[in-house]
Amino acid sequence: MDVITRKKTLVKEFSPMLEKNSSLFRLWIGALVAIILVGLYAFVLQVINGHEITGMRDNVVWGIYIINFIFFVGISYSGAFIAGILHFFETPWKNSVLRIVEITTILSIIVGPIFILLCIGRLDRLHYLFIYPRIQSPITWDIIAILTDIIGCFIYLYLTFIPDLAILRDSKELKVPEWRKKLYTFLAIGYQDTPTQRKRLHKIIKTMSAMIIAMAIVAYTVLAWIFSLTLQPGWNSSIFAPYFIIAGLYSGVGVIIIAMYLIRKIFKLEKHIKKSHFIGAGIFLLVLALLFGYFTFSEYFARWFSHKTTDNQLLDTMFNNYFWEFIFANYIGVIIPIIILFFKKLRTIKLITFAAVIAVLGLWLNRYLIVVPTLETPYLPIQDTRPEFIYYTATWIEWALSFAGIAAFFLFFTLLIKFIPIIPMSGIIEQEFASRNKKDKIAENQE
Amino acid sequence: MERYLKKYTLITSFIAAILFCNHAVAQENEADNYKMAFSFRTEKNNDNARVLEANFIGRNKNDKKDILPIFGAEIKFFNILNDDEVLLGTSKTTNKGIAQLIIPENHNYLIDPEGNINLIARFEATEYIEEESEEIIVKNLHLELIFTEVDSVKTVLIKAFTLDSLGIETPAEEVDFIVFIKTMLSKMPIIEGTIENGEFEFEFPADFPGDKNGDLTVSAQVEDHDEYASVTQEKTVNWGVFSKEIKKGKNTLWSAVAPIWMYTVLTIMLVGVWANYLYTIVHLFKIKKEGDQLKQTDES
Repeated sequence: MDVITRKKTLVKEFSPMLEKNSSLFRLWIGALVAIILVGLYAFVLQVINGHEITGMRDNVVWGIYIINFIFFVGISYSGAFIAGILHFFETPWKNSVLRIVEITTILSIIVGPIFILLCIGRLDRLHYLFIYPRIQSPITWDIIAILTDIIGCFIYLYLTFIPDLAILRDSKELKVPEWRKKLYTFLAIGYQDTPTQRKRLHKIIKTMSAMIIAMAIVAYTVLAWIFSLTLQPGWNSSIFAPYFIIAGLYSGVGVIIIAMYLIRKIFKLEKHIKKSHFIGAGIFLLVLALLFGYFTFSEYFARWFSHKTTDNQLLDTMFNNYFWEFIFANYIGVIIPIIILFFKKLRTIKLITFAAVIAVLGLWLNRYLIVVPTLETPYLPIQDTRPEFIYYTATWIEWALSFAGIAAFFLFFTLLIKFIPIIPMSGIIEQEFASRNKKDKIAENQE
Repeated sequence: MERYLKKYTLITSFIAAILFCNHAVAQENEADNYKMAFSFRTEKNNDNARVLEANFIGRNKNDKKDILPIFGAEIKFFNILNDDEVLLGTSKTTNKGIAQLIIPENHNYLIDPEGNINLIARFEATEYIEEESEEIIVKNLHLELIFTEVDSVKTVLIKAFTLDSLGIETPAEEVDFIVFIKTMLSKMPIIEGTIENGEFEFEFPADFPGDKNGDLTVSAQVEDHDEYASVTQEKTVNWGVFSKEIKKGKNTLWSAVAPIWMYTVLTIMLVGVWANYLYTIVHLFKIKKEGDQLKQTDES
């Protein structure tokens, strides 16, 4: 089969995903839009009334918004890291998972920073951050890192889309609206898959993949420094940066496994996303679970052993007020995935996905335990004050906006995979031709 | 049970006798296994009070590592001269085997014409332990610390002398001493020397910070001297010097400008990343250009 014919068969195979909008799909989109609208209503209320209608007060100035921010940004950096590694080292099975990873990366880095905006009490002064930046402040470093990372991720994602956009542009059988055809043509920038164009594209994708690995490490380190450079009990730790990177990777791989499972199930892509992909990702998740467990133990053990009054108070808060959260985040969230992924017999697709769900939930709670109990244990306790000024409970406004963020992530994901196939067609062709060439070479050598 | 006990009264009595006897024998045997060691020392403190200290322990004859302090033994301390014996006081040994008695500064000791004070610590014999006694002959050494500062040179003069019955000072000879500075947790030695002709003078180091008021506690100590036993004298002097000026840290959160290295690192990193983006965009334009050329060729 020649390249043109193969391209046609692949477009035919993936066209139902791009063309048809089933009633279930519409219902799904409708539900997501409804959640986002509720979130927008909550946002309007928050802007009108201020942070008074959230659970954030004098002590706990950061709530679940910042937790969602760290969580999403962690997933993004993790995705960028994994995508970079898969591309840079030209992993053979990368094609089936790469686009899922890339889309997760870009959407997380779009959704995540929105939560940081929700934390700002005076949004009308947001531009001050850019007009009067303080280079000494880790917040400024984080803004620079995130903006640079968003642009880098966009460029990288776009580069990997180009060959598929060209295939879709050239496909006359694809029944999509005219505006989409025009958009494919515009975004494909005249890519014809000539040897020069292919070589050039491969070269810049490889450079960008190396760049985004470095950027992911730097940006997530800067985010960890926002905490660790603050002299707060529970935050001022020298291992926070590597700990954040490992935790980010752990949650990121978990989200990717869940996404792989859902996409495989919904679009019936068993042919492309195989059990071997799940086992590979599962083993990676196992290694990360072990590392995450090790870092978590080191962090809390050093804190406990230091005998510092404030650290002991923090640990008391953890073990009394947040006992079950602590157990889930740091025991169940680590041990269950390790048990499932350690034993070969337990490594089924469903169980690996279940381990990933546990890991992701555990990681979200881990972030909660990093942020909230520390802020509830300040150096200077406020005397004679109402408990709600010291202790934090998220209000429906915060939950509505959090779910709106998650819904936005799913909505954009769904829309993106309606725009471009979730399995890169160009990658499949490349892989097939590469294995054919390899076979031909072996045959030639045998002759 | 009772019936059996009556029936076997003889046997019961025998067993009871053995049990009680055995206990007594065991105690006796225990004391026999140990060799008693009794020591006695005296030290004159900086408030001129004299501490009399007796140490009473038992050493296992078979196992030298097994040392048993004698607890609760009554030690009597005497001051004797010829046939006169004056009881200074009694003290019981602690669980470490130490009995102490503090004699205040103004106590009138029996002193021989040469100025010697004869002291005895005595443990009187009990059923199991024999009498122990130790004697010390000591002269009452007076130590004085005199601090002078001439032309910013800080000098310490240590004077050591004894007093006869008429109150005339006799300078001490060949007395080894150590001078310490008292620190928060321990003592820091600053000089060791020998007092000749009743005096020793040395220049005081000028780089001790002292406490928050600049006070230093200087302590001179004579340890286990043949004639004078142990003597300590200490005095506080305002000679502390803060040699280090407290400098304000430049790394402040509120400084107007960030350090240059921060600008440099940030610039290098951003230029590196953005140059790469630019490189990528340039290549994208080249791809587009080639695509446009191909399109034009196809159309023509």
